[in-house]
Formats: sequence, C-alpha cells, structure tokens
Amino acid sequence: MEMKNIKILISLLIATVITGCAELDLNPLSEGSSKTWYSNEKEIQLALNDLYRTYLWDLEINYGTERWTDNWTQRQSITEYPAGIITSEWSTVVDTWANTYKGIVRANNILNGIEHAAGNVSEDMMNQFRGEASFFRAALYSRLIFLWGDVPFYTTELNIDEAFQMKRTSKELILQSIYADYDVAINYLPVAYGKTNKQRITKGAAMALKARTALWMSDWETVRDAAKACMDLKVYSLYPNFSEYFLSSTKDAAETIFALPRSFELGESWYTKNFIPRTAGGSSVASPSWELFCSFPCKDGLPIDESPLYNPRKPFENRDPRCSATITEFGTTFLGYVYDPNPYTTTVLNINTGTNVKNKDTRSVDTYASYNGLVLKKGVDQDWADDLYMDADIIIMRYADVLLMYAEAKIELNDIDASTLDAINQVRARAYGVAVTATDKYPAVTTTDQSQLRKILRMERRVEFAWENRRFYDLVRWRIAEKALTKPIYGMLDVAALKSKVINANLWFFPGTPEIDDDGIPDFTAMYEAGLIKLLVQRNFNSRQYLWPIPSKEIKINPNLTQNPDY
Amino acid sequence: MTIVFCCLSFSMYSQDITLKMSNVTVKEAISALNKLSGYSFVYAINDLDTRKIISVSANKKRINEVVEQIIIGQNVTYRIKEKNIIISPLKATSDASQNFHKLTGQVTDEKGGSITGVVVKQKDTKNVAITDINGNFSINVPLDAILDLKILGYKPMEYKTNAQSEVRIVLSEEVRDLDEVVVIGYGTLKKTDLTGSVATVDGKNMAKIKSPTLTQSLQGSMSGVSVTRSSSAPGASGTIRVRGITTIGESDPLIIVDGVPVSNIDDVNSNDVESISVLKDAASASIYGARAAAGVILVTTKRAKSGQMGIEYNGSFGIEKPTRFPEVVNVTRYLQMMNEMTWNDAKNPVGGDYAVYSEEQVNNWLQWSKENPNQYPNTDWAKMLINEYAPKQSHQLTASYGGENIKSHASINYENTDGIYDYRNYQKLNVRLNNRFTVGKHLSANVDFSVLYSENHSPSVNPIETAYKYPAIYAATWADGRIAEGKGGGNMYARLHYGGFEDVSGTKLAGTFSMEYKPIKDLTITGLWSPSLFYQNGKDFNKQISIFDADDPDVFLAYVSGAENTSLYEERSLRKMATKQLLANYSTTISEHDLNMMAGYEDYTYFNETLAAHAENFVVTEYPYLDLGPIDNMQNSGNATHTAYRSFFGRIIYDYNNKYYGQANIRYDGSSRFHPDYRWAAFPSFSAGWAISKESFMQDFSALSFLKLRASWGTLGNERIGNYPYQSLINYSNTLFREGGIVSSSTTAAQVDYAIPDISWETTETWDIGLDASFFDNRLTICGDYYDKMTKGMLLELEIPDYMGYGNPQQNAGKMYTKGWEFQIGWKDNLGKLGYSVNFNLSDYKSVMGNLGGIVFTGNQIIKEGSEYYEWYGYVSDGLYQTQEEVDKSATLSATVKPGDVKYVDISGPNGIPDGVINADYDKVLLGGSLPRYQYGGNLSLDYKAFDMFVAFQGVGKQNARLSVDMVEPFQTSYTTPTKVIEGKYWSPYNTEEQNLNAKYPRLSYQSATNNYQMSDFWLMSGAYFRLKNITIGYTIPKKLIEKAGLSNLRIYASGTDLFSLDNYPQGWDPESASNAYISRSFSLGLSVKF
Repeated sequence: MEMKNIKILISLLIATVITGCAELDLNPLSEGSSKTWYSNEKEIQLALNDLYRTYLWDLEINYGTERWTDNWTQRQSITEYPAGIITSEWSTVVDTWANTYKGIVRANNILNGIEHAAGNVSEDMMNQFRGEASFFRAALYSRLIFLWGDVPFYTTELNIDEAFQMKRTSKELILQSIYADYDVAINYLPVAYGKTNKQRITKGAAMALKARTALWMSDWETVRDAAKACMDLKVYSLYPNFSEYFLSSTKDAAETIFALPRSFELGESWYTKNFIPRTAGGSSVASPSWELFCSFPCKDGLPIDESPLYNPRKPFENRDPRCSATITEFGTTFLGYVYDPNPYTTTVLNINTGTNVKNKDTRSVDTYASYNGLVLKKGVDQDWADDLYMDADIIIMRYADVLLMYAEAKIELNDIDASTLDAINQVRARAYGVAVTATDKYPAVTTTDQSQLRKILRMERRVEFAWENRRFYDLVRWRIAEKALTKPIYGMLDVAALKSKVINANLWFFPGTPEIDDDGIPDFTAMYEAGLIKLLVQRNFNSRQYLWPIPSKEIKINPNLTQNPDY
Repeated sequence: MTIVFCCLSFSMYSQDITLKMSNVTVKEAISALNKLSGYSFVYAINDLDTRKIISVSANKKRINEVVEQIIIGQNVTYRIKEKNIIISPLKATSDASQNFHKLTGQVTDEKGGSITGVVVKQKDTKNVAITDINGNFSINVPLDAILDLKILGYKPMEYKTNAQSEVRIVLSEEVRDLDEVVVIGYGTLKKTDLTGSVATVDGKNMAKIKSPTLTQSLQGSMSGVSVTRSSSAPGASGTIRVRGITTIGESDPLIIVDGVPVSNIDDVNSNDVESISVLKDAASASIYGARAAAGVILVTTKRAKSGQMGIEYNGSFGIEKPTRFPEVVNVTRYLQMMNEMTWNDAKNPVGGDYAVYSEEQVNNWLQWSKENPNQYPNTDWAKMLINEYAPKQSHQLTASYGGENIKSHASINYENTDGIYDYRNYQKLNVRLNNRFTVGKHLSANVDFSVLYSENHSPSVNPIETAYKYPAIYAATWADGRIAEGKGGGNMYARLHYGGFEDVSGTKLAGTFSMEYKPIKDLTITGLWSPSLFYQNGKDFNKQISIFDADDPDVFLAYVSGAENTSLYEERSLRKMATKQLLANYSTTISEHDLNMMAGYEDYTYFNETLAAHAENFVVTEYPYLDLGPIDNMQNSGNATHTAYRSFFGRIIYDYNNKYYGQANIRYDGSSRFHPDYRWAAFPSFSAGWAISKESFMQDFSALSFLKLRASWGTLGNERIGNYPYQSLINYSNTLFREGGIVSSSTTAAQVDYAIPDISWETTETWDIGLDASFFDNRLTICGDYYDKMTKGMLLELEIPDYMGYGNPQQNAGKMYTKGWEFQIGWKDNLGKLGYSVNFNLSDYKSVMGNLGGIVFTGNQIIKEGSEYYEWYGYVSDGLYQTQEEVDKSATLSATVKPGDVKYVDISGPNGIPDGVINADYDKVLLGGSLPRYQYGGNLSLDYKAFDMFVAFQGVGKQNARLSVDMVEPFQTSYTTPTKVIEGKYWSPYNTEEQNLNAKYPRLSYQSATNNYQMSDFWLMSGAYFRLKNITIGYTIPKKLIEKAGLSNLRIYASGTDLFSLDNYPQGWDPESASNAYISRSFSLGLSVKF
C-alpha cells in the first residue's frame, strides 16, 4: 500500500474516533424530570392520581387490620398484633410508616409545586387540585397520629439536613393542621363529578374522613359537625339490601363515599381461596370468630345472653339478619353446596348436580375444615368461587359509618335526641330491609340512657362493620383491646371428642351461652372449663400496642426521635 | 600473547548490546548494529541474503549472540575481528577431514505437536538451522554431532545424533514465569518489568479446571482474587472480588476482553483463553481510572501464532450431582412436632398434647397411608421433585492458521447442561474468530468477531426449596397418578410438570476492528472501534392447572395455587454498546534507558431499551403466543436508559539497566452519570521497582535467581450508581378510577427518589508494597503484597429517615479503610521423567468503616462508623431460657417468651443504661465481620510419560457464618416441615432437664419465632471450609498408535469437580449454597484430538 493511502486511511480512522465522541449530557429517556413537573393540568392530574394507588391504603384492603382483632380465627395461628409481639422492626410498622410518609411527601410536592402551573391552569381548577392534595395529606397524617401519636410533621420540602433535625410534633398540633387541610378540601372539592367523569375524591368524602379523624381523637364536637355536614349534603343513602351491598357486582352505590375500584381485567383483583369453604374449592383458612358470632343480637334487639329468643343449639335462629348475612348458616346452600360442619354429615348435596359429594367442611372428612365450624358469608358469592378471584371495591368510607359516627358523637356529648336514635335506627332498619319508620318490623332503639346507648352503639358498630377493617380502630380507641385481645381463641373439640362430648350429648352446636360484658365481649371460659370446647391459641395483647413503635431504624439514625413507651 | 588475546576477547564479549527490531531486513539489522556498536559486517554478496526478514531481540547481549540472530537460517559462519564481523560460507570452514552428512529431523513438544522456529545448532559451531512450520529441519553435521536446540518457552536441549540421518527430538515446555509477557492495560510488559501488583493465570490452567464458567475456573487460582458462588444451576456464575469489597454498590471488577470492556467475563469460553491478568493495585489499574476501583481483569483470547496450523477437537460428557441436599424429619415425627409446636403456642394446657393431630392419627398415619394414601399421604417431595443427577456435555472445535500476512484463529464451543430437576436446561454456543492482517511493514489490523448465543430453559417454578420444605402429609398426586391437592392447592409437583415454562435466550454480537500503524520506528498508533449488540428474549408461560377430586375425576376441586389462570409474559430487550480508542505508543532504548510512553483517548456508550407485554386468562393453553390472549387482560410496558464515558489517559514506563523501574499513569475521566459541574476527575498513579538481584552485591547468592521490590501509590474511581442519580425523576405507574360506569386505568406520576445534585466520583487511594522472588533457577517462586486502601467520598445508600418519603439516595458519604495482604508460592521441577508443579496462594483483608455521616442497614448486617464492612448486627444471646422464673426475672423481647426460647442480653436503653426491655433500638450490637477471611487456593500438577494429572483446591480460613432460618427454623410458614438438623437437639417440654440444658436449638414455636430467629450471636458458626475443587487425570495415546488415523495428538481425561469439602455446616447444606439453590459436584470424561 502506498504511503499516501495509508495516511488517508489513518486520517479517516482518527476522524471517526474524534468526531464520534460520546455525548455526555444524557437525560432520562423514559422518565420525566421533577424540576419541570406540575406545570400544567395534565401533570398535576397524574401526580394526584398517584395518591389513589392502593399501596397507600394497605390497612384498608382485604381484611388488613381485621385479622388482628377478635372478629378473626385462623386455625391455630395468630398474627403478631394479638400475639403481643409487635416490635419496632415489625414489617407492618415499617411499611405503613414509610408508605404513609411517601403519600404525604407526594401530596406536599403537589401543594408546593402547583404554583408552577399558575397561568396555565384556571384558578378554580388549581383550587380543586389543592383540595384534592390536601384531602390526602390530611387522611395520611390522621393515620399517623392515630397509630403512633406524636410524629415528625412537615408540609414543606425537606432537605436531608432538615430531616435529621426533626423531632416528633404533638398530635394535637398536627390535628389542627389536618382539620385545616380537610377544610380546604371541603371548601374546594365538588359534591360529585358527574357519572361520566372519573370518580375522584368529593366534598362529602372530605367531611366523612374528617369525622373519622375526629372520632379517632375523641373530638366529639368535630365528629358531630362533620358527620352532620355530610348527612346534610343529602347525596348519600343506605343501600337497601345489606347482603347485596358487599358483593363484587354492586358498584357505584349511593352508600359508598370513598372507595378504590378494582378490576380483574385491569390487573387489580384479590385471591379469595382462604375464605371459601373447602367443599366449594376453597381452603377455609380464616373464619369469623365465635366472639363475633355471639355478638349479633337477637331479633328483640337484646344480646344473646339476655334474650329469651336465643337457642345455642340453633344459634342462627332469631338473630339480627346481619348474623346470617355475615356468617354462613348451617344447612343452607352456599356456593353450590349445602354447608354443614357437623362431623356426622360426611356428604352434602351439590345443588347443581343434585348428587351428594364428600363434605369437606367437616373435620371428620377433612382435617383442615374450619376449626370453629364457621365460614364467612359477607360479600362472598359465586363470583369468588368461580376462579377464586374477586374484584369488589375497596370501601374506605360508607354512609352507615357516617350515621354511626354521628350517633356516637351525640351519645358521648350526652346530647341525645331524636336524630341520635334515628341515625342508629336507619342502620338497623336497613339490616332488616325495612323502612326506619316500620318500628314493628325491627327492634328500633328507643332508650335515651347514655350508658345503655353507648353499649348498643358499640355492638351495632361491631356487627354492622364486621370484617370491614373498622374493628381494629374501635378496639384501640375504646381501649378494650387489652380485654378483647387477651382472651384465648376457641374452636370445636377434635372430632372424636366433639362427637362424644357435644353432639352425642345433644349439645351441638354451642354447648352453652357465653356471658357478654358491658364492652360487648363474650366470655367462653365456662364452656372451656367444662371441656366442651377447644382452646385453639392464646392471644397476648400488650397494652403498649395501643401506640405502635416508631420503626427502629428511624430512631437509630435520628437521636432526636424518642420511642413510644415500653418498646 | 594468549593472555593478551583473552583479555581482548573478554573485553570484547563483555560489551552488552541491546537491540530490538522486528520484521526488518538483514541489511537494516546490520546497519542498526553498526550504528549502535560500531561493528561492521564483511561479506560477499552471494553468501548472505540481506533482504531476508528477521527479528532481533537482544537485551544486553553479547555481540556474537546478536550476530547469530542476524544471520540466522543462512548457510554461513562468522568470525569477529576487532570491529569487523567476517562472514563466510559454511562449507568453507567445515573441516574436510570430518565426515559430514545431511541430517533431517522434526522437533515436537511432549504432546507431539510440531514446534516452529527452533534454532538447531551444531554445538560449539556456527552451523545453524531453523525448523519450519511442520517442525522439520535439515542440517549438515558430522556423524557424531551434538545439537543444541533452543526456543523460547521450551527447555534448551542437547541432542547426540549418533550417526542417525533422521531424528525426532522432543522438547519439554519450560514455564519460566519471570520471562512471561504480561498483558497490562493498553499494552504488554515483561513480568520482570512489572512495578504494580498484577496476578496472571495461564489459559491452559483455566481450560484444565472443568468448570462451567470462566468465573468458577478462577476460584482459588490467584491470591487476592476471590470468587464466590451460590448456585450450580445451569448457567449460574459467581461473584468475583479483587482485593475484597471496594464500594457498596457494584464491586464487580472491570472486565476487558482483548482491549474492550465487556459486561460479563463468562461471555468468553474457558477454552478460548490465552491468558488472564488481574490488575490489583491502583498503580496497575489506574490506566482504567474511573471504572477500575474494583480491579480490572484483562482477558486475552487465543490467536494464531506464526507457523501454527491445525484443527483441534475437544469434547466432554459428564454428570452433575448436588454435593448435599437437606433432609427432613419423617411423617410421624412431623405430626408429633406439629402437635408439640401448637401445644407450646397454646401455653401447654394439660392434656392438650395432641393439639392438631390425634393420638390415633400420629400412631397410625404410616399404616393408614398404605391403605388410603389419598387421605393419609406420605409424600417424598424431594424424590418427586429432584433428580439424582443431571447430564452435561461440551464440544469445541478450533482451527488455526498462522501465515505470514494473515493469521486466523476460529473456534466454536457448544455446551449443554441440565439442571437437577426436570425441564431445566442451559445451552450455550460461542463462536469466536480472531484475525490478524499484516499489510506491508507499517500497517496491520486485527479484526475479531464473536457471537454468543445462550438458551436458558426452566419450568415456571424452582422446586429446590419446596423439596425440603413441604411436609409429607400433603399429596402431590392421588393414588391413581392424577394431580392432587397438595398443601391447600399448593402443589410444586404439578407446577413443575404442568405449570408452563420460563425461557430466556440471548444473543451477543461483538466485533472489534483495530488498526496498528507504525509511521516510524518505535512509534505505534492504534485505532480501535468495537461495537456490540445484545438481544434478549424472555418468555414466561404460566399455565392453569386444575385439581379434580381424589375419588371422582369429574369433580373439579380447585386450581393449583399460583396456576389459577394461564398467562404469558414476554420481554424483549436490546442493548447497544460501543467502545472507541485511539492510542499512540512510543518505545525506545537509549543505551541503558528503556522508555515507553503511551497516550490515548477512549469513549464508551451504552444504550438499553426494553419492551414487555403481558396477557392473562388464556382460554386455549397450548400456544404460548400473545395473540391468543384475551384483549381485556393485556398490558404493555417499556423503558430505556443510556450512559456514556469519555477518557483521556497517558503512561510513562521507564527502566534503567533492567534494575531500576518507574512508571506513572494518569487518566482523566468524564461520566454522563454526573452533573456537568461534577463530571470530570483525574486519577493518577506512580510505581517503582528495584531488581535487587541484578545488583553486583547480590551476585554471590547463587540460589537466588531473581528478587525485586515493588512499591506503588495510586487513585481509582467508581461511579456505578444508576443512570441519572443527580436528577430527580418522575416515575410512572397506574391506578384505577371508576369512570362512566366502568373501571378505567389512569397513569400516575411521582418523584420516588431523592436526588443529590452534586453527587460525584468515589475515589479509592491505594498503597502497595510487593516482593517478587525466585530461587534455584526459577524453580521456586514467591510473590507477596501488602496494601492499604482508602475509599473516599464513598457512594453509599445512607439511610435517610423514612419520613422523608423517598428511597435512600446514593451519597458521596464516607470513608472506608481496607488493609490486606497476599502471598503466592510455587515450585516447579522434574524428577526424572516426572514433571511436577505445586502452587499455593493465601490472602486476607479487612475493611473498617470510617466516618460515614450515616448508617446503612442490610437486614442482619450493618455498615456504620467503626464497623467492619457488612458486619453482623444483632442481639447478644445468653443461651436458652430453662425456667419460667428465669424468664420472669429477665428483660424480654416480647411477652410470649417462655422457657426454651433464646435469651438475649439487655445491653442498653434510651438513657444509655439497660432499660428492662429487649428492643432493636438499643440492644443490637456489632457481632463480628460477615465476610470470608484467609481465602486460599492452590493446585498441583504432575506429568509422567503419557500421563498427566491436575488437582486444584480452594477454601476459606475463617468466616462468621449464620445458620440460616432454612436450616434451623421449623414450621417457617406454620406448616413447613422441620429439617433433620434440629431433630433431637431442640429444647422440649418432653425432655429431661439435663437434655434441655444441652439443647442446641430453641423449642418448637411459631409465636416465638420472631424472638428466636432474630439475628443474634446464637446463630453464628464457623463458616471456614476446605474444598477439593478439581481432579483431572489425562492420558495421551502414543503417537504411533494414532498416526495412521491421521491424528497428531489424542488425549483422554477424566475429571471431577467439587468432590468433597471439610466444613462445619449442618447436614445437608453446602458451605457455598444459597437458599433455593444447590452446589453440585460433577464427573466428566473427555477427549481432545489434534489433526
């Protein structure tokens, strides 16, 4: 090769290398930059959408907190909370803390960054966005002060140095800010969005959630006023049929105030197998507890230990209709099969084929059939059993709660009037499927005695909201967890003993009637001591758990934070 | 007169001449020698071919040696008279009285391969011949002549011709480590000239260890290079650490294959490796500056050598077997232990012993299971899920041609390995083609091309863990063989066989074009362009499996858990990378000064794009393609990232008289990962060496062959922390809204991470002092290094408060101090026909954290000021509680603690004194380092006649290891079966007091598990181990037996890897195995054929 050619070649090579220098100013290809975000309506909308994601609402989803309460039995196992073993490293503590603050900082960023959009977005729209973000910030801080008491509190953008300077702010101070945020929301949010638009958070939801926060803090006047304001909107009403309301097929009911929708097609659904009877293809892992079963009053409105209508051998008879709407009645058809936990019933009828099949819901046939004989009915229908998935709404606030919050506030304020009784009676009448005025068709509440009403209201909340994640909050704020969650969980005797001691002795199903105390908590000790029921597992709630521990990591890296007592 | 002549002669021959020329004409060499030394050649035109191309390589050599190199291969002899070298035809000097004849012969190596370029010289004469590419030579010699044979890489030999006219001479290889040429960054250097710490391995040893990957072959082969692996699954690799941990994030060393950075060393097949160099200290690695903090591994692949020609086949067949597999208690014990656990958790009520399973069931289960296995299963899950062994095979074909202007080396490797459970298979195909073109005197080019194709087939589940966790009381199949219900629908057997698959295949294409241009003597300019592409396809097909009733196959019961519906997930990604380099290298020798200068530019770009699609609820389950998925349940996703670097670098290497060495490097690097203001950084280094053995005062130590002291200092950088860490990104997700009566999905946006705008390079500064020595004619070699390393501005994911609402960002946080040493010793010799060599290496380091400005938690480990890197962090235990009184008197972690649970020491409280409760905030302490210490390795190789043998071992001298929950925690998920490890050794209410005092493990309890299996020193054990890594025995079939078949060499061998280990691990657990994985031993038979 000629020298000249070589030189040309070399020059070309060098030119290629140099001119093709790698560009170093590279920006993300598939993500946006926060520096320029929040500058128009679309971007703010997208940021607000993030606050509707389910990770922020874990405690409200799928019996998240219900499993910690005395409404729950899961064979012989027990979760950390009733076992009394939660620590500052418990994953629920760590995750709830972190996720709640994630939501708060995202709401803060919207509220602080929204000014970028001034000029691009109408002032009305800006205000509505402010209302929406304020609502979520208020709801999330409410959770923090309920679970932890005093917590780090901020509404501005924090840098790392500022974050390490933070101390816990008293929950009373935070509460004032929460109320202010709710009021911004109430002020700016619309009552409704119109059927064809996205159903975002509403004025009524802000009122109802404000009432709930006040309820958690026992600020009864605020509860009363916020609940009343929500009732006065006159846009919410109880769904006429209690059982039907909880089914996956019931969407968009006027009772629902704040819910997160799910859709199987869009990838949000929930696996139901653990709650379905075994004959119907489930695994019957978790059941309503006997305490819950015994809490439904009789048709005369009296607790079972006082009502002459109660027969422990036929425990579903003469009960408040919510009893068999919540727990599957023995001998009835459920999900295509007759449900019967009696060990002598070794086969049951398959309604669809008309043939008898093995009864896997009795422990004489299947060791893992329900340990206390009960299976859940509330919300469960064939849709759950068909493919073991369901996509019912995650209901965070419904109108019955507003009514009962209102009643509770009035009772606690000792400001008992007709509206107080009416609020309770509306809920109860709906359970019977009758009008509130048809007092001959349901046991209307008439007493105006504060302590009697308090007991009635607490029983009413328990049975109305069974397995809806409300019991945990009630146990804590009424300070009765230390009683309810220190009693053992009971179930049926093992098959041989059950047959000889209970069934053959004609004591099926319940060999006795528990006494129910003033806090509405049944006591099975006598039956256990008589050897007629089995102790499945001990509960060991420790009263330090009324407040959760601050995650250990937070205390280790920031000495300004103190731990809650006794952890 | 004689005396005078001697003196003259002495003075003349003592003059050292240094002359290095390659591919020059004889004429050019003569004139260069003349300029250098004043010697002139005197010759007749016809006697000497002056246009012949030769190479001269003389480093302080005597004149006669230089002359011999110049006239090599020509039929001439010479005399030196003063400054004249008088050339005369050979015949003229031959003594007519001697009986000359023509002798022909062939020179081969021990395996029968011909050796090209051997200098065959009649002893004490200038009568020389050189072997051709077939190893043949011819020479006119007296009948009883003695031939001197010499070539680099083989032992010099004297051969008596004994009047033969045709001879075959076998040379044995000589590995004189110190003469080796070592690949360093952007160049090569003689091993004796190194001033930094560079470890090397010969490709031959890599190929000998029959490991599935190059990474695993490196295990134990070099001091200071640690390889850990956690699985032997097909396609699994390992983790390489050079001098331990350097940083928190990625501590993977930079891998350079033939000058180009690659992402994975295992892209290169062990058989293609010519050599591997590991640049360990900062001085050696700093030429790679910003990306070298974790060390640099340079892999050089094989190229054709001059005159080499041949085709070779290597193949092996073998099997893999897990070294160990966990065993579980039998079904009766399971029932008993389940009862005991439940009874314990119910606070041991009197008469409540049979808490879950009745006495009848416990006593009769085994019997009943024979009569009614559907209701009383006794399933051996391990046997149903795990196979006895897995077959594997590999094949390799190589062709090589080393012509004058074109040198080409091509290889194809194919591997096929099964896993130890069904449907698991890995196949890999490597193709590599390395070419060198020489165009005239000034220009040459390397054009290399490689393809790697791999296929990884798995069932949709990995059954390893289940095989030792599922209790026997759940049925995998009904008595008639149909799929059974398993544990509440959980049935790993069903999912393994009917649940679908996960396939990943990848194609990597890489090409390198590099051109070398020598415009003038001593200067080389190299331009390199190396683009590569990587395509990956993933397909996960998860199939619905129905369970029907045990008695009635028509009654549908449920779907197997995790297989409720049929879904397909497909992913496609494309990665594009390109490296560009421009180097200038100037090398010169001026009398006793050797100088090499290099300057270069390099840049690198990386781009990755992924798209994925998902569909659910397939009605037809036979076809794993998206078009069969219902439109309702389809989801798509995609993302892309890119990064780039730019670098300028330079180096000066100098030595004086091969005695004093110095080297300086600098690299100036910019990375797209940082903000423009914090993007650029310079990384300098300096090193020096002193070859003490060359000093005159050392000449009396005859045992010492070589001794050199080295010292170096340098800095390196690291920036592997995600692609855009200085920018706050908005991440997208989606959520659902009710809208117009239906549910619709909406995009969401949020800032997820906190950005540190001024984040910049992490820097590592290293001091290194090293010693290389060899004794007894280089038979004994020793190498040692001590280093002291400081990492500054360490990129740490420091914990920020969770209440900030962001993930922990990377910060230039703190300092880490690492001190370590390495030692390597080798001996190589012959005992008659037995050739043998032994090598051993040992190294250790310890990293202690300096001021970090924060803490990093990683589960059971911590990184904080004063701690070791990844030190165990947990409670201090005080044995097991024996009595209730003891529990009542103690601070406890929770209210459920009872006798038989682990007792912890109350270390402190909020006020700095023990506060009567055990909690994570104040009672966890540092429990000692978690990383392996005193890592060692070694090998032994023997050859005797046609037999050869190779043994390699490796191990860890000291390590605090944790007994994992998989090993010791019974009923991890309330029903999983206990392993045999705890059987008979746990605290139990059924035990005597004395038995309980000696109990090694806590009582059976689900509720107390959060107390008992917390990280504490209770669970720490010695993780030290010794492992026999490999034994290979080979036999080379005698040449005469195979010659007729046209073969030049045939070797067969048997090899075993991971045959045994010595360690403290509980029965069933391998020291290296991670959870849900296994380590296997393998046995293979192989053969290698050369045509």
